[in-house]
Amino acid sequence: MTGERPAEPVTDPAGRHSGDGAEHARAEPTVVCESVDITYRVYEDRRQSLRSLVASKFKSRESRAIEAVKDVSFTAYAGEAIGVIGSNGSGKSTLLRAIGGLMPVTDGRILVRGSAALLGVGAALQPKVSGRRNVLLGGLALGLSRKEIEERFDEIVEFAGLEDAIDLPLRTYSSGMRARLQFAISSAVRPDVLLIDEALAVGDKSFRARSQGRIDELRAAAGTIFLVSHSMGVIKGTCTRVLWLEQGVLKADGSPKEVVKAYDAAT
Amino acid sequence: MSRPPASSGDDLKPVVMRPGFGAYLRETWQRRDFAMAIAGGELRGQHMDSVLGNLWHVLNPLLLAGVYYLVFGVLLDISRGVENFPAFIVIGVFVFHYSQKTIITGSGAVVSNEGLIRSIRFPRAILPLATVVGHSIAFLPAIVVMLAIVMATGEVPGPEWVLLAPALLLQSVFNLGAALIVARLTDLFRDIENVLPYVFRLAFYGSGVLYFPSRFVSDPAVLAFFDFNPFFAFVSLARGPLLAEMAIEPLHVAVAVGWTLALLVGGFIFFRAGEDRYGRG
Repeated sequence: MTGERPAEPVTDPAGRHSGDGAEHARAEPTVVCESVDITYRVYEDRRQSLRSLVASKFKSRESRAIEAVKDVSFTAYAGEAIGVIGSNGSGKSTLLRAIGGLMPVTDGRILVRGSAALLGVGAALQPKVSGRRNVLLGGLALGLSRKEIEERFDEIVEFAGLEDAIDLPLRTYSSGMRARLQFAISSAVRPDVLLIDEALAVGDKSFRARSQGRIDELRAAAGTIFLVSHSMGVIKGTCTRVLWLEQGVLKADGSPKEVVKAYDAAT
Repeated sequence: MSRPPASSGDDLKPVVMRPGFGAYLRETWQRRDFAMAIAGGELRGQHMDSVLGNLWHVLNPLLLAGVYYLVFGVLLDISRGVENFPAFIVIGVFVFHYSQKTIITGSGAVVSNEGLIRSIRFPRAILPLATVVGHSIAFLPAIVVMLAIVMATGEVPGPEWVLLAPALLLQSVFNLGAALIVARLTDLFRDIENVLPYVFRLAFYGSGVLYFPSRFVSDPAVLAFFDFNPFFAFVSLARGPLLAEMAIEPLHVAVAVGWTLALLVGGFIFFRAGEDRYGRG
């Protein structure tokens, strides 16, 4: 966190609903956030032990409420690639996780059309088994059936560029190979809403081009992308719209050019 | 909301983190292949770690049974009228060890998968389910070894031996119910993981694994404890068909079925209640 509050508010959040109305007059909303508050508690000790429970005579732990997201409202439409920017701890990841159903909202509500998935299949993969088994494992984790995975298997391997290494255990892969496999599996699922948290700047140049292609494909198929990134280059290159969160509050919502300019001016 | 012809077909729906009980069971069942894949991957991974690999799933109970037979069968001789004492101990140790191993591993199903829980949506009951499936598969070769030893000690296979299959299947479902409960308990209190081995150590001596209870105790209250102990019921349900000198008792069937149903239903209810808390520290 920079600690500096932005000196001049540039893009007025109040105008956010009408801002891109012309372009989306006919587009279908895919994600609707209505006055979303997300507050969670963090505890001094990560986890309560029986001993501390007894020692504190069954009083609850010392805790602090973190208001990660405060009164955020926006509507995302099919075909949009929405960048989410803001300093560290501004609530970007929390918002993404709430859209993905991994974090409950405290107040307000989030509506999603179809399926929303976080690009984060890495945690489902097992280092000791082959890339081939991991494609199955990751696909099943993301809700594909065995049959769907078999149908898309070749495409996933080819997209990841791992034809030669697919029968080696995952632990022998380089971090770039691993990241490519993860992106290939996650995006093969073709969720209606794909949530990407700082993961795009992986792989070499040709893989980045292919991932960009995949994202465009998904958008064309009436999907919506959310992309959290600190790289304004990536945001400007990929996104059609940008949300700027600062300390949990939506500070700006508009075209990448305007919002990034305002963000750069403020930080 | 009107549905446009070209959309993917769904309307806007609120994000639900904890579906209703029926929907939760349905979702868990729909994702069963994921549980199988986790279990399969873990079994494949394990065999690369040590020279003997998955053989340890058989060697562990075998060595345990050997040690107990030496101490309690040969040195202390507590057989007291059990004619085929080696087979009696082998069945007891194998069957008890199966539940012990499964449930203790199941207690870590949530806490050891926080990364997965934090990044992918799926019914979390898949995780204890995967543990139970994995241990069930790993137990299959152990059953073969157990049967071989029982035959080597002079028991003759008969048609009643097939009753071992439903008994072990019921025990696996019991293990699932227990794993669901301890997985959530461990998420609430990490200490449970440290306590469980001692609970099972105590249960081991209180489940007639090494001796036949009614030949040692006459107090009806203590005997009633054995009668309603699910582990004693499962051990007895395995000995009944395999040992000529033992029979399957209706009481043990009733106790095993009762515990299994209670733990399965209670386990799912209890586990689902924590669904939106898992993985959040």
